Formats: sequence, C-alpha cells, structure tokens
Amino acid sequence: MNDTALTQLQEAFPSATCTQVIDTAVLDVQTDDLTTTLTALKENFGCDLLLDVTGIDYLTYPKPPQKERFRVVYTLRNWRDNLVVQVRTGVSNPKIGLPTASSIWESANWGERECWDQYGINFSGHPDLRRILNHVQFEGHPLRKDYPVDKRQVLMESDSLEAPLKARLASKDTGHEAMTELGTDVMFLNIGPAHPATHGAIRFAVALDGETILANVVEIGYLHRGFEKLAEKHTYNQVIPLTDRLNYCSSMMNNIAYVKAIEKFANIEITERAQFMRVVLGEFYRILDHLVCLAAAGVDVGGLTNYWYLYDEKEAAYDFISKLCGGRLMSTATRIGGMYHDFHEGWEKEMEFHLAAIEKGAGDSQGLMEKNRILQDRMQNVCRFSPEQAISFGLTGPNLRSCGVPFDLRKDAPYYNYDAFDFDIPIGSNGDVYDRFMIRYEEIKQSIRIIRQAMKMIPGGPVNVNDPQVHLPKKAQVYTKIEGLANHFKMVFEGVHVPKGEWYDGYEAANGELGFHFVSDGSGTPYKCKVRPPCFYTLGSFPAMVEGSMIADAIVNLSCLNIIGGELDR
Amino acid sequence: MILTLTILLAVIIAIAWAAFNAAYLVLAERRGAGIIQRRPGPNINGPFGLLQPPLDGIKLMAKQLIIPDGADKFMYISAPVLVMCPAIMSFVALPYSDWLQAQNIDVGLLMVFAFASMGTMGIVFAGWSSRNKYSLMAAMRSVSQAVAYEIPMIITALTITLMAGTTNLDAIVAQQSENFFHWNIFPLFGETHNILMPFSFLIFFICSMAETNRAPFDLGEAEGELVAGFHIEYGSMGFGLFFMGEYANIVIGATLATIFFLGGWSCPFGLFPGVWWFLIKMYAIIFTIIWIRWTFPRTTIYGLLNLSWKILIPASLVNLLLTAGLMKVF
Amino acid sequence: MAAKVKQLPSRGGTPAEKVYLIEIFKGMAITLKHFLRNLWDNSNLYVRHYPEVQPDIPARWRGRHRLLTHPDGTPKCVACFMCQTNCPADCIMIKAGTRIDGVTEKMPVSFTIDLAECIYCGYCVEACPEDAIRMDTGIYAFTSSNREEMKIGMTEMLSLKGGFPEEEYQKGLEGE
Repeated sequence: MNDTALTQLQEAFPSATCTQVIDTAVLDVQTDDLTTTLTALKENFGCDLLLDVTGIDYLTYPKPPQKERFRVVYTLRNWRDNLVVQVRTGVSNPKIGLPTASSIWESANWGERECWDQYGINFSGHPDLRRILNHVQFEGHPLRKDYPVDKRQVLMESDSLEAPLKARLASKDTGHEAMTELGTDVMFLNIGPAHPATHGAIRFAVALDGETILANVVEIGYLHRGFEKLAEKHTYNQVIPLTDRLNYCSSMMNNIAYVKAIEKFANIEITERAQFMRVVLGEFYRILDHLVCLAAAGVDVGGLTNYWYLYDEKEAAYDFISKLCGGRLMSTATRIGGMYHDFHEGWEKEMEFHLAAIEKGAGDSQGLMEKNRILQDRMQNVCRFSPEQAISFGLTGPNLRSCGVPFDLRKDAPYYNYDAFDFDIPIGSNGDVYDRFMIRYEEIKQSIRIIRQAMKMIPGGPVNVNDPQVHLPKKAQVYTKIEGLANHFKMVFEGVHVPKGEWYDGYEAANGELGFHFVSDGSGTPYKCKVRPPCFYTLGSFPAMVEGSMIADAIVNLSCLNIIGGELDR
Repeated sequence: MILTLTILLAVIIAIAWAAFNAAYLVLAERRGAGIIQRRPGPNINGPFGLLQPPLDGIKLMAKQLIIPDGADKFMYISAPVLVMCPAIMSFVALPYSDWLQAQNIDVGLLMVFAFASMGTMGIVFAGWSSRNKYSLMAAMRSVSQAVAYEIPMIITALTITLMAGTTNLDAIVAQQSENFFHWNIFPLFGETHNILMPFSFLIFFICSMAETNRAPFDLGEAEGELVAGFHIEYGSMGFGLFFMGEYANIVIGATLATIFFLGGWSCPFGLFPGVWWFLIKMYAIIFTIIWIRWTFPRTTIYGLLNLSWKILIPASLVNLLLTAGLMKVF
Repeated sequence: MAAKVKQLPSRGGTPAEKVYLIEIFKGMAITLKHFLRNLWDNSNLYVRHYPEVQPDIPARWRGRHRLLTHPDGTPKCVACFMCQTNCPADCIMIKAGTRIDGVTEKMPVSFTIDLAECIYCGYCVEACPEDAIRMDTGIYAFTSSNREEMKIGMTEMLSLKGGFPEEEYQKGLEGE
C-alpha cells in the first residue's frame, strides 16, 4: 500500500479515523456510517473482495481501545491495486448489532452468520442469520471471553434444515405450476454428511425436480473443534501444530501462513534460506494439495485410475516430508523466526525425483482427462460463474482464477522473493467446472517451475533467526550454558512476545487466500486469532453455483472446488 | 428319460459355467484394475489370489441379510434372483463350439435377448423396494438406460440376422468359419458381407457395455453421486448376486459379440477350430471391457441418453436399411 | 522474471475431440502402457505389502515417546515441567518428587502421557532442557481397546529403546 491511498481514504471518509497497520489501511467508523463507508469503498476504491467479517470481544483486554465491549471488523481487498482495508466499528448493543453488508457482498452472508454464531452480534436485515459452525442446539457464543474454553454441551438432535430449504425454494421460480400439471412434486434429499462425494462431513439438503436441483442449503460444522478458541489458550508457537489440522492436505502451507502473519507484525526478519525453504515447501505442498483435489475429483466422475496415477506420487512425496520434519501428514514444520529443521542431506536429489514422478503422473492423468469428450461433456458449461459473481462470493485462489480473475497474492503482493521467480498464473476462460479442474494441472506445472528455480537460488546459512526473544536457543547451549537454559525456559513458559495490536495478513495457500486476523495484547498468547479459510467462502457460493444443475454436476463441482473440512469447520 | 437327464446335465453345466465365470471375472477385474493402477490387487489368498472368489462367497454368505424398515420384503428378496436367473438362463442357448452347447435352439438369438431384458426388472425391483431415494433414482436411471440401449442393440442383431438369414446361433457361426476374412467384422470378403460391418460391431459393443451397466455407462450404481445406486441397501449374498449377475451379463455380451462378429469357434487360419478359439476371443473382448472401465470417467445420464437416442439408434436404423439395400443390390 | 498471467485454452472445439473415439484410444493406450509394464514387472509398484514389509522410518520421525536414562540407569528427567507446559494437547502429566539418588534435586514420581490425546508434534522433545524425552522409538502404530490403556507411564517409557543409532539421531537434529 502506498501513502497516497491512505490520504485518499482519509479525505474520502473525514468522519472516520484512518490508520495504517503494516500495509493495511484501517478505518474506524461509527455504526451509522458503516453501510455508506462499505458501499463507497466497494464502488470508489475498488474493494470488491470482502475477505472476512469477524468480531472482537474486549472483555478481558488490558486497556481496551474503545468503550464498547464488541467490535466488528470487515476486511476488504482491492485486488487490482493490492490494497487491504479494514473497516472497524464498535457494537454498543450486540442484540441490536449492526446493519448487514450482505446486500453489498454475497460473501458477507456467511461471514456475518459466523460472527453472529461465535460472538452473538446481530446483523439487522440479514437474510439468513442462523448458526453456522456450531450446532443448532448450541447455547451461548463460544468466542466471547466469558464462555469457558472447557465448557461442554450435549447436543442430541440433528438439524432438519427444512425451514431454510423451504424458504430458499420459495424464493425461486421453480415452475411449480408445470409440476402440478404433471402430477409430480418436489423431492427432498439429504446429500451427506456421510456421502462418498463429500469427502469428509458436509451436509447438503437439496430440493429436487427429478435429478435437477431446485434449491440447496448447506450445513457445515461437523468438524468444528474450536480452533480459534483453542488458539487463545496457547502461546503463539503452540498454535502451529493446531494449524496443521486446518487444511490437512497442505498442512505446511498453514504453518507458513500462520508464522508469516506473526513475523510480519512483530517485525521479525527471517533468514534468506528460511524464505527460500518456505517457497520450496509451500509450492511443494501446493502441488500435493492439487494432486489430492484432482485425484478425488477423478473418483467422483468415475475415473478411478486417475486417482492412483496422482495419489501414488503424493504418498511417495510424504516420504520426503517425513524425512524432513518427522511426520507425514502433520508437518508442524515452521517456527516463528524460522523452521523446525533445515533440509536433510541429499534433499535436492529426492525433491527432483519426486517432481519428475509427479510430472509423469499428472501427465498421464491429464492425458486421460483433458481432451476426453466424456469428461468435457460432464464438466464444460456446468456450474458456470462469472468473474463478478466469483468476487462477490469471496472466492480466491484457483477457484477465482478459473473464473477469469487474475488475482494471485504471489503476483499481486509478492512475499518471500516471489517476484524473482519466473512463472505463469493460469486463468480459466469459461469459469466452469472444467476450468476449475484443468487449472490445477497447470498450477502443478507452474509450481514445479518455481521449485526448480528456487532450488537453484537457495542460499546456505542458518534457517533460524539468532534472537533468544523469538526462537529457542540451540540445544547445545541449553545443555551447557546457563544463559541458554534461561532463554529456553523463558521462551517455553512465556512464548514469543508480540507487540500489542490488531492486524490481518494473507497468504496464497493452495485453495486461495488463507488469512489470519490477530489481536495481540502484548503477551505471548494471542488474544484472538481468526482464520480466514478460503474454503469457507467458496462453499458459501456453492448453493448459487449448483441450483439449476443436476446432482451429478453438483458432485463434480463440489470436488473441483476442493472443500477441505478441516479448514472449513476449524 | 435319458434325453431329459442329458438336458438336465447340460443345464447344470451351463449354470456352473455361468457362476464360475461370474466369480472369477470379479477376480480378473480386480487384478486387472490393480495392474492398470500400479497396485497388485488381491494376491494373498492362494496362488495369484485364486482362492479369493470362493472366500468372498463364504464371507458374503456368512453375513446377516438386513432388510430395511419399510422395504417391500417380497420384491426386496426377489430382486437379486431376478437379476441372476435370466442371466444364467441365457447361457443355455449359447454355443461354445460345434458340439459344446447346452441346447441348440433355432430361435437362440431371440431367447438370449428376451432373457437379457429381464435383468432390468430385477434392478427396478431392487431400487423400488429398498425404500431409499438414492436407489430409486438409480432404478429410474437404469430403466431409461435399458430402454435406450436395447433398441440399437436389437436392431444391430437384426442386421446380422438379415445377412445370415437365421436366428440360430450355430448357423451364424458356421457361415463365418472359413478363415479370418470371413468373419462378419471384416467388411470386404465372404458372400454375405458388406462395408458397414465394423460400424455394426462398434454399435453392438457400446450397447452391450451399456446394457450390462458397465463403466463408462454405470449410471445405475454411480458410486460418486448415488452412493451405490440400486443395490445401496443390499448386503450379504444379495449384493453378491447383483455383482455376479453383472459379470454373467458381461460374459453373455462378449459371447454374442464373438458369435456375431468374430466367427465364434472358427480358427483365423482355418486350422483346428475348437472351443479354445472361442474362449480366446471372448476373453479378449472381456478384457477390453475391463480395460475401458479402468480408463474412463462416467458419463452423465443425459449424455448417455443423448448418445443412444441421437446417435446410436439413428445410426443403427440407417445401418439396417443400408444393409438391406446392399443385399438387394449385390 | 516475475509472474505472467496465462489463459487456459478453451477445449472441446476440435473435431478430433468431438468424435470421442480418437481420445478414447489415446487414453486406452496410456492405461495399456501401465498394464503391460506392471504385468511383467511388478517390483516398482508403490503399494507396500504392509505388514510383511515395514515402512522406512527416518531418524527425525516423531514416533512414540521414551524417557532416557543416565548411563547408571537413573532417569534423566528432572521434573521441570517444561514438556508439560509446552504440550499443545495437554497430554503430559508429571508428578514431581525429591530425588533420592543424589544426581539432581528433583525427579518425577510419575510421568504419564495420554497417547489418545497426544498429537505427535514433538514439542515436548523440543522443550526438554535435559535431553530426557525423545520420540525416536520408531514406533508409529499404537492401538488399544480402551482409553485407560492409552495412557503410558514412566516405567514403560523408560524401558523403550531408541529406534536409531545415536549418530543417526544426532545427525537428524543437525538442521534444528
């Protein structure tokens, strides 16, 4: 962000306080100005991507920055000019709450639902304000500071979803008269939570006319384990193993995104080698994530062989990962200020071996799929999304790019020397399922290109910063020197002290923009840690995508969107 | 009396042959799929996993038969039988060599098609009686699929009958027995042949895959979207019978293709005709069917119906007309 | 240098793709190639014949925990509670007591790890200032029919041996 943007913002919104936090412009507005500010930001400042909506509870915050207990933050992005704007407003009465932004962005629908669910902040005028991550019978709002972290509730009944589904059906033109004439009726069907195509636990309640989906509502939260609440009880470093469990197909990308956000605010400059390591491993995990997505999508369209050509390579690649960090699926490979381990001896050769195998496997699979008309008939012109729709629903990553929007944080807000690499950002031409499928093959190829370049450029030297305030001292010092031991004790018991403040930072994960919104009270434990999982908003667009299509189309669409339960439900 | 016993024996052998094929084709399919997919497949039980089918059978029979609440009991139980029995019945009319045949029937072709059509009824029974929306949808799909593909298949068979002038399967083979180039699939040689035969073979092959619910036309079970399709509520041997019925149908399809187009038990070089040639040809076709299944994704139900109603049925009709015309001219 | 935007070609227009068959035969050629290669030589299949063939466990592997001892057999652990503090899953329970053998001041009276809660992140090893706990047993499979058995105590952890030679383990730690 440049200074002119900040001045322009201040000029445009004289009643708001405008500050800069890292490279984000933060606007504090009055509740009454909220809707006009958001609308103006979207229309005049090009902030057409609503990244996230979240609340903050200042109940136990030392010296809170405002008199109201709650605050709501809208994080917006102008993807053309790389401008992130956060709009914050205090909530004097959570029962009355704020006016909804769901008429400005479609993605606000789910974002605000989550905010209501977790903090109990009402959004007046919201079309569908229900629980989303927590179960329908759940009482209380878990991210409020007065909700005890170990409180348990017994929830017995499943949500019938009848009311929201019928409401949605009523809002559609379903050709009801024609159906009455034919003597048929709408059929209601539950797809999931245990259905082969949901690859986890997501539930879709659909209203069908034959096999055509008339209306669809989604129930998520089956894998909700309160990541954000847990994070508030752990030190910054202790949260890293928990981030593995967000998108478990690309666990290390979550690790990197998490520590990158903290390092950025705490002004920790990691070593060159660590930066390149994170690029190599991040891109490697992007490949693995895409392999899983393509393999699973292949199974869902009935091409089972495709699965083995892709998944075998992924499984073999885990051998490499386990040599590097001691675990196959759960890497836990980063630390604030560096990495858990440096590469092991001979990693270049192994990496090259795996890259070659992946190239071959993906090539075979692409040969089976790409030009095959059976697949093209299934995927082309199915569940199409226009660029405007995609942005409005808050899609990011390959799903957004397949709709023809060339937004990629690696290109638009480069970090870790991404501007030094030569690679392509593929975008789709139709925005259909076929593009969502094919774009991942292309991204695998581009990631391999980046890894090969980075492997040539990676410098030697240490991987961890030499700062006892940030990183654990070396074991040799701990065993032998009292100073090292003291630093070690301090780091373990208190954690990394991150300066007081609130900030947002995004990272281009395999599925899209993985953002972390932190509130720090200056201690070693995050006061609040909100994840912006790309899947969450992607799935929010699912009903709009599939309505009017057939069940089989919805299933391939679901697998090509690559919804991962771990990060969806947190 | 002796005649009755011979017929009985022949029928029993036909049944045993059908069951044996169905069981071991499951193994062949699993091994074949494994090898295509870079994994070994079932190879633990016995040499090359050869004991797998009987052990699977024992396992399935040992399992409890669960009838879902509210299911139509009679239909639910009779459905697997309705799939398996007609398939086995068809074997009675199939000739494997000039002497190896359970019963030489003059209308053998008609009989095989008549029984093959009945299998669909079992699928509908299963889908309807399970009281499950997924299985019901799969049953609906299966019916429309069976209707759509039976038409071009029978029209193609009609083309063959037109040329051969008989519905006796023995006689159809006998006409092709001279050598390689007298097989019906080759367009140019032999007195009855015409240029359209490869197309007829293609249509027949596609239809027989669709008729037997094989990928890429396995819309009836479509495990991605309809979980397991019409047999979603079946466990135990009920499921086993559906499975075996599918493979028995594959054998019938491959046998018919061999008889109609590949010269049955005749040798390509005019030497030592016999049942082994028949088996080689038949299993080559079955291998192709398995190979295709493990190569391609599944179509959609509309894609499947379009293929039949818009391409295969008109093509087979034109094929029939042209064949008739060619026969008149030459 | 730097990233360029590249539009994916829109597929499906060419006559070769439209007639199904050409691409179908190409696809079948790909699978047949795999079939023939694996039919003659199935030695390089990815599938591991577990449990007859055990996987290769690298030295950095975070497996089951063990407690280390001094050469004289007394536990190295000094009950400093560092691992318990650093554990993100709260699965370590230590009870400290006075040491009787005179090596240090304190030692654990009981040291229990609930393996049903453990997330195998390796943070206890990282936190230990005495090199008293390691996850280098190479044991990756652990089953039990009830929750109580999933809790392993001090005696069991002291009796486990490392799965790798010391040099190999230390070499694995080098990049720390």
